[in-house]
Amino acid sequence: MEKLLEMAGRAADQAEVFSAEQSSSSATFQDAKLYDIRTNFLSGVSLRIIKDGRLGFAYTRNLKDRQGLLDNALDSLRGGVEAHYDLPDTRVGKSLATYDPAASRLSSSDLTDEAKRICEILKAASAGEIMAGAYVSVDSLRVLNSRGADLSQRNSLAGSYSSIIFPGSGSGIGREVRSRSMAKMPDNLISEMTDLFKQGQKTVQPKGGRMKVLFMPESMITLLWRIVSGLSGRSVYEKISPNAARLGQRIFSPKLTIYDDPLNDACPGARAWDDEGVPCKKLSLIEQGVLKGFFYDLKYAEKMSAASTGHGYRGDIWSGDPVTVKPGPFLGHLFMEPGTASLAKLISQMDRGIIIEGVMGAHSGNIPNGDYSIGIGPGLYVENGQIVGRVKDAMAAGNIYETLSNVVEVGDTLYPSFEGARVPPLLCEGVSVTTKT
Amino acid sequence: MFDKLEKMLAGAKADYIDIRYEEVKETAIGFSGKELTTLSANAGDGYVVRALDQGGMASVAFTRPEEAEAAIRAAAENASLFSRNTAKPVRMAKAETVRDTYSPKLGEDPRQIPITEKLELVRKYNNIPLAQPKVVNTSIAYSEVYRRKYYMNSEGSRIQEDLVTTSVRGLITAREGSLTQNIRVGIGGSDGFGAVRGQERHFEEKTKLVLDLLSAEPVKSGSYSCILNPSLAGVFAHEAFGHFSEADIVETLPAMRERMTLGATLGNGILNIIDDATRPGQLGFYKYDDEGVAVRPVQLIKNGVLSGRLHSRRTAAEFGEPLSGHCVAEDYRYAPIVRMGTIYIQPGEKGFDQLLQSLGDGLYLLDAKGGQTSGENFTFGANYGYEVRQGKIGRMVRDINISGNLYQTLMDISSVGSDLRLSQIGGCGKGQSNIRSCNGGPHIIIDNLIVGGI
Repeated sequence: MEKLLEMAGRAADQAEVFSAEQSSSSATFQDAKLYDIRTNFLSGVSLRIIKDGRLGFAYTRNLKDRQGLLDNALDSLRGGVEAHYDLPDTRVGKSLATYDPAASRLSSSDLTDEAKRICEILKAASAGEIMAGAYVSVDSLRVLNSRGADLSQRNSLAGSYSSIIFPGSGSGIGREVRSRSMAKMPDNLISEMTDLFKQGQKTVQPKGGRMKVLFMPESMITLLWRIVSGLSGRSVYEKISPNAARLGQRIFSPKLTIYDDPLNDACPGARAWDDEGVPCKKLSLIEQGVLKGFFYDLKYAEKMSAASTGHGYRGDIWSGDPVTVKPGPFLGHLFMEPGTASLAKLISQMDRGIIIEGVMGAHSGNIPNGDYSIGIGPGLYVENGQIVGRVKDAMAAGNIYETLSNVVEVGDTLYPSFEGARVPPLLCEGVSVTTKT
Repeated sequence: MFDKLEKMLAGAKADYIDIRYEEVKETAIGFSGKELTTLSANAGDGYVVRALDQGGMASVAFTRPEEAEAAIRAAAENASLFSRNTAKPVRMAKAETVRDTYSPKLGEDPRQIPITEKLELVRKYNNIPLAQPKVVNTSIAYSEVYRRKYYMNSEGSRIQEDLVTTSVRGLITAREGSLTQNIRVGIGGSDGFGAVRGQERHFEEKTKLVLDLLSAEPVKSGSYSCILNPSLAGVFAHEAFGHFSEADIVETLPAMRERMTLGATLGNGILNIIDDATRPGQLGFYKYDDEGVAVRPVQLIKNGVLSGRLHSRRTAAEFGEPLSGHCVAEDYRYAPIVRMGTIYIQPGEKGFDQLLQSLGDGLYLLDAKGGQTSGENFTFGANYGYEVRQGKIGRMVRDINISGNLYQTLMDISSVGSDLRLSQIGGCGKGQSNIRSCNGGPHIIIDNLIVGGI
């Protein structure tokens, strides 16, 4: 890698070599039976060069032909992709606990055992179809650049997940846990799932209209995707975010505070620097409903005359393969500040509404604008603070800038959600729900 | 290459083993507005091994040839771990041994076209919407993926096949006041560079539509009878029904599996759905799947009755149904899973005007904008639509998302048009993506669809 950097440094004004090595394993159970055991060893190197304000990019899986890789990057300079930023000269990153050696010792057999344990408990406690799995991944990242940065970090991530499917429907109540070592599914999450499942056995067809909606961790993706998109420096630059002129203004309910904290190593996936080698920091995004900032990588920071906030990551929602993708602005450590209400208290405040446990179509619609229109699956219908049953064939629709201005209460527990986010359940009112009746 | 793969597998301890090596060459050109954001041509390669031993099955993907021995050992060990933890051994349906080398006929081999020529073509398409002042952003990308796959298994199959996929796709965003609207664009295919040439009209039409959307009204939410255009009918076939014709999905959902028994009446008698990736020249075309089985047409619904299913060797054995050749991987990073090839609603006899007359009042919905299935429920978006009153197309409506229940909706398909069209671009995510996922249909009428609006 050093040799590649030296060659690239001679051929261009600036050069960066990024490498990633990952090994991962997973065990999957379907209908409470072992279905699949997989292992992956993926590695690769990618090269970014800047010459005369232009960008060149190339990657390879096996660094055998350095000159060939450099030639590919030099070739891609010809297109004229602009790059008017300087790579960072970060020497040392903050020391974080990102790797637990216990993760490297986890075998496929350990993963199989944990997933099997979850299945057995859920099978005994419910009449649903049980899906569960456990996984572990260990990766090493390194960023080297011609300005002297040489950073490396090892990360481990282990987790387990399960879901109880309502027979015949194919959708169910799901939960996940993640940590740096083995993530055992705790008993309270298991009973939360079985309780909700039991209360959703009966199907009901309530009337539609505006009502309260409780977004649970599996459905928060709907809101988070649009929040992240609307706060991205790229969306602001491209004039597709409605927030460009709203800095300092209240855009959400005062009950909402949202920040990004890559340095919080109590959670797995903490980062001291981003994939461009820019140091990471805690970034305030929404404080009591007021818009505080946008997030940037080097490229969009330069375009907006701002500084990179350390959010240049390789890989986005659709691609998790860091080697083949150029860095772009990405928010991967979002935290929403929890409130004080337990799940039971949140439900007790619903005179009429739906607990949305799962959604379809979170990825479609005018995302930067905040619009959503989702199929609910499953959703539990609540009347007078009591779950009545599982709602059949319903959609919820709105715009997050309206929905998140109408927050009734924020839950007290953080759950892992969309792309590394940690969020509490969120009770909103006045959401438009359409049903068949 | 096969000699090298054979050496890797020598000494592997399993009842059955297969290995797939792939070289993938990708060319990407991307514009965001006027700005060129991506131009690169790169290559990657890697291996996937699958082992079946004493009824246990496991897979390992790896990218470094020097890791082959450890990877193959891990696959065999995990297969054995699987067999110790299952009461029901995995079996694979018997498949023919195949030795073949296959390369598709290409209209124009994209590898022979200089990247600068590709760049200029994409720039030309991108400039069409950008000429309009109300268009605030475009995101238009050319993608060319060339996969060369070498597949061999311990039963003696040796197959080399090339897959070439080209596309120009993206999004046009227009704004007026505080309203932004966007529309998807996409052209391409699996038969070479010719598929993306000469398509200016597509970009002109889409530009006009996104500008029209700025003065369209949001659709009023409710339950409507709707005409779906071929693009939407195709997404419906894929999302609402197609995923449940994938045997690995219903395999482990006992209640759905029982309902989806071959011979069950699922839809209206006028409904016929087929998956036929053997149709030449279309996006979903391939010859062999990623376990060396030749793909064949599968009649999924015949006159409303469930009549076939898409299989891997594993699920074909589990269901006791014929092999179909639908076990496909995204690339060398993944073991294959059951995927649709080219799924479409087969055309009926009605012309579009007849459909309008039978609809009476309702909506005419056009062009897919993402969809998703969760069990028996599905949701997908339409890029735009029109109100229909007494068989006449009226004003344009926007922000359309539909949702429904699989079983109910198949019964609610009340008319099928005669004008079959297949999609030029794909994209199906099921843990891994499938850029060649092709779908289509004629215009159809579905009664009582829930339209969400915003």
